[in-house]
Amino acid sequence: MATDFWASSHHKRWVVDRASVKRARAEDLLYVDDPEYLDFLAIFFANCISRLGKKLQLRQRVIATATVFFRRFYLKNSYCETDPFLVIAACCYVAAKAEESPLPIKNVVSDARFVFSQEMYGIKTFPSDTSKLAEMEFYLVDDLECDLTIFHPYRTLMTLCYKEGSNVGAGGGADGNIEAGELGAGIDDGQRYWGTGEGRLELHEGALQMAWFIINDTYRSDLCLLYPPHLIAIAAIYLALVLHTPTRTLIQSQTAPGSSSASATGSACSGPTTANPTPAPVRRSSRQASNASSSSSKKNQQHHQPQDFVGFMASLNVSMPLIATIAQEIISLYTLWDRYKEDSPTSTSSLDSSAKGSFTSNQGRHNSPFTTGTKRSATGTNTSRSGSVTTNVSASAGTGSHAGTPMDIVREDGVEITPVFLVKVLLKMREGKWTDLAARSGLGEGGDGGGNGPRAVNKILGRTQAAG
Amino acid sequence: MLDEWSSSLLQTDPMRAYRMKRDAAHRTVQSKYTILGFISSGTYGRVYKAQSRDDVDTGGDGKAGKIHAIKKFKPDKEGDVVAYTGISQSAIREIALNREISHENVVALKEVILEDKSIYMVFDYAEHDFLQVIHHYSQTLRAQIPPAVLKSLTYQLLNGLLYLHTTHILHRDLKPANILITSSGTVKIGDLGLARLTHSPLQPLFAGDKVVVTIWYRAPELLMGAKHYNKAIDCWAVGCVLAELASLRPIFKGEEAKLDSKKNVPFQRDQLIKIFEVLGTPDEREWPGIKDMPEYNNMKRLDHFQNHLQEWCNSRIRSSSGFDFLRQLFAYDPENRLPCREALQHKWFQDEPKPTANAFQTLAAHQIPPHRRITQDDAPSMMPMPQVQPHPQGSGKPGSSASFASMTQLSGGGGGGYQTSGGRKKARMG
Ligand SMILES: Nc1ncnc2c1ncn2[C@@H]1O[C@H](COP(=O)(O)OP(=O)(O)OP(=O)(O)O)[C@@H](O)[C@H]1O
Ligand SMILES: [Mg+2]
Repeated sequence: MATDFWASSHHKRWVVDRASVKRARAEDLLYVDDPEYLDFLAIFFANCISRLGKKLQLRQRVIATATVFFRRFYLKNSYCETDPFLVIAACCYVAAKAEESPLPIKNVVSDARFVFSQEMYGIKTFPSDTSKLAEMEFYLVDDLECDLTIFHPYRTLMTLCYKEGSNVGAGGGADGNIEAGELGAGIDDGQRYWGTGEGRLELHEGALQMAWFIINDTYRSDLCLLYPPHLIAIAAIYLALVLHTPTRTLIQSQTAPGSSSASATGSACSGPTTANPTPAPVRRSSRQASNASSSSSKKNQQHHQPQDFVGFMASLNVSMPLIATIAQEIISLYTLWDRYKEDSPTSTSSLDSSAKGSFTSNQGRHNSPFTTGTKRSATGTNTSRSGSVTTNVSASAGTGSHAGTPMDIVREDGVEITPVFLVKVLLKMREGKWTDLAARSGLGEGGDGGGNGPRAVNKILGRTQAAG
Repeated sequence: MLDEWSSSLLQTDPMRAYRMKRDAAHRTVQSKYTILGFISSGTYGRVYKAQSRDDVDTGGDGKAGKIHAIKKFKPDKEGDVVAYTGISQSAIREIALNREISHENVVALKEVILEDKSIYMVFDYAEHDFLQVIHHYSQTLRAQIPPAVLKSLTYQLLNGLLYLHTTHILHRDLKPANILITSSGTVKIGDLGLARLTHSPLQPLFAGDKVVVTIWYRAPELLMGAKHYNKAIDCWAVGCVLAELASLRPIFKGEEAKLDSKKNVPFQRDQLIKIFEVLGTPDEREWPGIKDMPEYNNMKRLDHFQNHLQEWCNSRIRSSSGFDFLRQLFAYDPENRLPCREALQHKWFQDEPKPTANAFQTLAAHQIPPHRRITQDDAPSMMPMPQVQPHPQGSGKPGSSASFASMTQLSGGGGGGYQTSGGRKKARMG
């Protein structure tokens, strides 16, 4: 909301350190067989939110908000002590309202029941009574401390970049593709909320789309809790620049000594797909330009200096080592995600707005019409931890992640990470927790709430049942 | 292993342990505040005067004993049973926006308590509001509000509005009852229940709420059916509020045409005529966009009026810069209407007498409106007052319905001491 991210609840209360994120999973760790499952659960839940969100026809930003709500909720709570599916539905329900696109509670309940009862989840117990969801909403909003305004990287992306040769403000509006329409949303978002730079990046549409998709993907991790959204956006732009074949080609041409962009274009495309070899002019708008609203005139320029990519990044006035760290974490996410198998029950997958296909190659279902030239590029993305962003863009393939053989999906212990498997993991954790509760004398332990004193668990359960 | 009974419980209510933990940690409204009395009921709920409890449990936050206004949103009812039905869009909005903002001239939200299927928003208390001031001068003192007070109130109102607009919030419901004043004479904009972010909204502004702003304060572009509107609608309302402070009655006191059964927004003929009678009929020269307005043809059929604002101001504002100021706030074309920032720099505020930080600084005690009247709740079971019904510790947690008393039918007006006439009520939809 407020242009001022620095004055927001998001900045003041909800960017946390990794230790807090870890601490939040401490109880779950007691009940999970393998700590790695928790990381897969993080992906799994984000996918659930995405699926339910798509069913409810929520826009990407609303889904993103719901996901942030979910992550924040589980900063304070444990998977094993809650029903994440009810929490997910509540997150979607509240996010829709918080983003001014409310839905009737009945629809949320019936769609959640439908989505979660599908074979891949097999959850048949989602309450049909709307008051259960409404009750969860109360607890959720309370746990969120009523901080319902979320900043997202999309806004930074759109503020920093505009699509080459198109009027972003017009909002795209490609039929049936929510994401395309959203690319234009929020372009008049006002100034950036950090730094002093005025540089804008002119991105090839494919690269912009890719950065957008990478941002979508970051919600499958805890990144939205760990870093302010503008840094995530810049990391996504950085990765898109490196991964988007035509753009990468151009950058390579610039960084190769003595080469002109024209000569390099034809030679450097080493990715498997070169369907769209149009060079993407990536350039920095003149910071000295007195005419601030010159975007249209810029578009009309036929000849311009190829953008100094390093200079643009430097002009952003953010810590480049930090950006490199975030980029690295995004890549780790893809590496992990690549080992998780989630087949869509329908052809219109909820995951079709992901950049995953550009990072990993094990699944060929990635079918965005916007990423021609990036699909399955299997680019080496050996981001330098030193923070240098210029040198590691060589197309040495295969260093980024496991190559895509089916073997990768199956762990050494023969376990295949699928939704069905993860639901089992979850139920087992929950049962473990309950068994402990029953074995111990009271419920007060283990939680920070406390205050109930020791009591026989059955008595407590009985009492709550009578009250609830 | 779990016995059968426990595991079936786990199946049917996996959130039980969570709720118990949360309920145990919950601190009730009653344990934190003493309810002193009932202030008013509005569209969305009831407002109470309350005092922080002065015991060790308040955590020593220094706020103990402070006076607050607690707004309790009315829970929706399903039949006779109060059940969780989902938090209203208006409450979500007011809560979400209030959590992000902080300004001297905007009423401060201290906390939100979710309890017993109800939402309690705890605000800093404001002893007065603009409507009170208007009543005090028109009914008791039978005199005009002195120019220094008029300017101070307007200046601070604009200052708070500038903050909201800078943070991309449209208030959309500015009117005297929603603009509060503390006992030390600081203006506090209240009631963000209709406010909205203009910041890249996912929905166009008109989609959510077909009708915004109480009719008397509604800008001409809204009355003309504009689908897109902006901050200028709030600036129009400021003009109306200023005019009302100056004349002690609403300047454009039209009759609202009601929504028809299909919830189509009707043509607001009477309200437009009231405006035209003072400002004249707008033409394309002063408002080029008018011919594209949905209600343009309806408007064309109205009688033609001349502008009389100057005469209107002569006896009421009695200052040429004051007239110019109002004229600019009442610009028909939203593009030409005075924005907050420019308004704050207007010559009127530089002329003597200048606005003061304490709006009441120049007043004698009897000129300051009396304290807000509080009454016993006319819906006594709504929020039990300690003296009426001692509240047992530990009840009234979010998860329990045991102590919840259902709400009786809301009546208008309430304890504020004023008749709430029809025009002051806003029409809200969706
Ligand atoms: N902070 C406060 N201090 C004192 N009184 C207050 C405060 N906030 C609200 N009130 C009183 O309660 C009334 C209703 O509050 P508010 O406008 O926030 O609620 P509402 O339900 O939106 O009302 P309406 O629909 O009538 O505008 C106000 O007009 C004012 O008289
Ligand atoms: Mg009000």
